[in-house]
This record gives sequence, C-alpha cells and structure tokens, in this order.
Amino acid sequence: MATILQYLVYGLQLGSVYALLALGYTMVYGIVGMINFAHGDFLMIGAMGTYFIAKLFEGQRIDGTYPMLIVGVIILIAMLGTGGIAVGTEAIAYRPLRNKPRMIALITAVGVSMFLENFPRALPFIGPNPRSFPTLFTPTSFLVLGASITSTQIIMILLAAITMAALYFVVNRTKIGGQMRAVSMDKDAASLMGINVNRVISITFFIGGALAAVSGICYASAYPQVDVYMGSWLGNMSFVAAVLGGIGDIRGAMLGGFILGIAQIFATAINSTFGYAVGFIILIIILLVKPAGIMGKLVVEKV
Amino acid sequence: MAMLEISDLHVSYGAINAVRGVSFQMDKGEIVALIGSNGAGKSTILRTISGLEHARSGSIKFQGTELTKMKAHKIVELGIAHVPEGRRVFPKLTVTENLHMGANLIKDKQVIKDSLERVFTIFPRLKEREKQAAGTLSGGEQQMLALGRALMTNGSLLMLDEPSMGLAPIIVEDIFRIIRQINESGTSILLIEQNAFLALNTASHAYVLETGRISMEGPSKELLADDRVKAAYLGA
Repeated sequence: MATILQYLVYGLQLGSVYALLALGYTMVYGIVGMINFAHGDFLMIGAMGTYFIAKLFEGQRIDGTYPMLIVGVIILIAMLGTGGIAVGTEAIAYRPLRNKPRMIALITAVGVSMFLENFPRALPFIGPNPRSFPTLFTPTSFLVLGASITSTQIIMILLAAITMAALYFVVNRTKIGGQMRAVSMDKDAASLMGINVNRVISITFFIGGALAAVSGICYASAYPQVDVYMGSWLGNMSFVAAVLGGIGDIRGAMLGGFILGIAQIFATAINSTFGYAVGFIILIIILLVKPAGIMGKLVVEKV
Repeated sequence: MAMLEISDLHVSYGAINAVRGVSFQMDKGEIVALIGSNGAGKSTILRTISGLEHARSGSIKFQGTELTKMKAHKIVELGIAHVPEGRRVFPKLTVTENLHMGANLIKDKQVIKDSLERVFTIFPRLKEREKQAAGTLSGGEQQMLALGRALMTNGSLLMLDEPSMGLAPIIVEDIFRIIRQINESGTSILLIEQNAFLALNTASHAYVLETGRISMEGPSKELLADDRVKAAYLGA
C-alpha cells in the first residue's frame, strides 16, 4: 500500500510535467493547426533559464535554498522569459508560413527545435554539459501512510494544478479565452468580428511557453539536472500525452499527461527499461480503440 | 461623397487574376447588388473590402478612409460588417456566444444588451435556440445567426455573400424580407447573389460581373428588363 502511494506521488509529479507541456502542444495545434515540435525545447529554456536566474539571486540564498518570495520571483521571470521566446519563435519562424501547406510549417518546427537545442550548446556560458539544478526550497519530508512525500513534491504538484486551473479559467471564462476559441474554429470569421488573430496567436504561444517553463521547473526539481537536450525527450512524451488525450482538447492534454506520468512510474517499478515504452503502448491501444484520443471527437464535416 | 468607392481594383491568387480593374461605388442607405456567375470574382471583391484578401492594386475608400492597406480587424472597427460565404458561424459556440463574438469590439455593456435584444426581435428563432451549439442549427437558422452576428457589430455597411445559398425558397423569402427591413432601419447593404432575379428585386442599383470585370451596370429595374441580363442570368 505504502509503495503504491509512493509511486502514485512520483507519477503525479511526472504527470504534471507532461500535462503542462502537453497543454502547449494541444493549444498551439488547436489554434493554428500545426504541431510545434520545438515546444519541448521551451521546457529546456524554462529550466535552463531558471538555473541562470537563480544564480543571479545567489546573494539571497540562505542555507543553500531561497526564501519563498524569491522563488516566486524566479519562477515568474522564467515564465515571462520563456513565454516571450515562444512569442518570438512564432513571429519569426511560423507566422510567415501560416498560409503555406502544413508540411512546410512542420519541417520548420523540426528545424526550430534543432536550433533551440544547438544554439545554446554552442554558447560558451551554456555548453553541452549537464548542470545540477539548484534546490529552490528546503525539502521537508512527511510520512503519509508509510509513503515519504517531500514538500517540494507537494509544492510542484500544487503549482502545476493551480497553473492548469488558471488556464482553464482563462480559456473558458475570459474575453481573450473566447477569442482564442473563435480563432481556433475559424480565423477568417474571427477577424470579421474584429478579433486581432495575430495577437491571439501570440498570446497562445506566450501561455504555452510560460506553462512549459513551469513544467521545466517541476521536472528539474524532481530530477535536478539540466542540459540543452532535456526538452527533446520530454517533449516527445508530452506530445504523446496530448495525442492520447485528444489533440486540441485542453482537458484531454491534462488527462493524457497524468495517465502517461503515472503509467510510466509504475511500469518503471516493474521493469526499468519498460517505463519508456509503456507510454507508446498506451498510445497505440488508445488510437486503435478511439482514433481521436480520449477526449477528442472525430470531426464530421457538415456541408 | 459616396460611402464606398472602389476604383480600378485588381486582386490575384498567385497567377490567377480574380478581379481585374473593377470600379464601382455606393451611397449611404442604398442596397447595391453584385451579380454574376460562379467565379466571376464577387466573393473576392467582398473579401478584399473586409481585408481578408489583399489587393494587388487599386483603391477601396470607405467614408474617405483607404482600406487596401488595413488589417481585417481594423476594418470592422470602421463599421463594415461582412457575412461571409457559407455563413461561417462558430460551430462549437452557442447561439448567444456567437452573437457576443459579433459585439467583440463594443465596450458598453448596455449597447451589447440592446443589440442582442434587437437581433432576437428580428430573429425570434435565434432566441428559441439561444443555448444551442451553432453547428447543430439548420442552414436557415445558421444564416440568421450569421446575419445577427454581423448586426451585433453595429456597422453602417453590411456586406452579404450569397445569403440564399443552400436554403429552401420559403426561408430565402424570409431572409430577404429581413434584409430589406435591416436596410430600412438605416444600414447600407452590399449584396452578392447568384440568384439574379432575387438580387435585382432587392437592390436599387446593380453591377454585373464577368470574369473579374464589370460588364454592365445600372438601376436594378433597367437590368431586369435588359435582354442580355435576361438571357444570361434570369433564364428567360
């Protein structure tokens, strides 16, 4: 029992990383109809950025960790910065191709991903070597029903949950959320309503980038090592999570992320090499049974 | 001064020249129709006016403002409402949510409420289906919703692209009665129709488009009586 609970906590933690990242894939797909293969690299930028921002605040460090307020500031800067980079990426690389065949944007995304991984690698102050991620706050362990849970785990899972709740609120209850839904359904009709489609797409990329930064911080807090390629693998897994949940659907991305995270942890516990495969096995099974994903609906065009 | 003035407009899609040197104008309060067969360039003209397509050359002036270099969402602000071909309602939003999208640029809550009430008075059917997703409405209801949504923008010029397309004759009659009613309350209307008979009976003035050029123009009554128009578009 205690072991199962323990794995469940690990699963939730990894699941929130996947879910936050999957949201970016699914939102961008929903709104511009492209798979942003560079999205995983935004996670790396968020985590790597946090590493450097934390260094800037080194003077505030007490006993190797930071006060809560400073941690909040560090996370906020990382979110804003990563969001900004995501907006820039869209404006430079994707916007000029928006009305071109989809394959062109797809290949561009792969290219952007390679650039985002290898450009920092070439920078002398970043380079190819992994760095150890700083401990942001003092971890305290609790024993719950025999399972050991750390405060870092609780805070990270809560942070992910709050971020997702905020996103759900923004998309469904605010004016900009309504505009996002309108743009995702019909860009021409949306601009005839006076909606600035470019602005809405930029905001979507910004939100995706900011969520990816939170995701990166959650991941690096659990597995405290950052390097320029960390986003590639995590990105792939989160893309699987988004497809699993039904790409384009926000609740589906969250659900897919958690399913994948929890399944991977349990599978790893059974056999350490099996862990990575399980995500793809689940994906294949789901796609065979329900090709549009768990929450997705196959669109029947009404003429 | 004319409300809308288009001069020597050229629009192309790649190598295809869809509109080649079209000039026309309309005054405030008028209903003007553009008629012509499929592919004559009618929709392209409307899409270029509202900024969805870009002109290769020529000018479009609306109340003195040049539109050809403006973004679509800015053109709506000037007061041009466009009901696009195929209605293009937001299928997963409810009827009310669709109508609220039309009021996207309006800040004053009272104005939005009044416009909503006006739309529901014009289209009681929409009121009945308030909470229904737009994608589940019938074609006629979707056309009403598209019209209502355009009215929510409170524009002074309403452009309609094939409002009769795919609808039963009895519903078409209804829609056109409402179009005249909207015009009587002060909104100018630029109408595109394949059904030339209907268009000429609604508009005061009409232009006939043929492969991207205006081939004939005049008061609708004269065109209705014209032998060439009769032969080509009225099936007489």
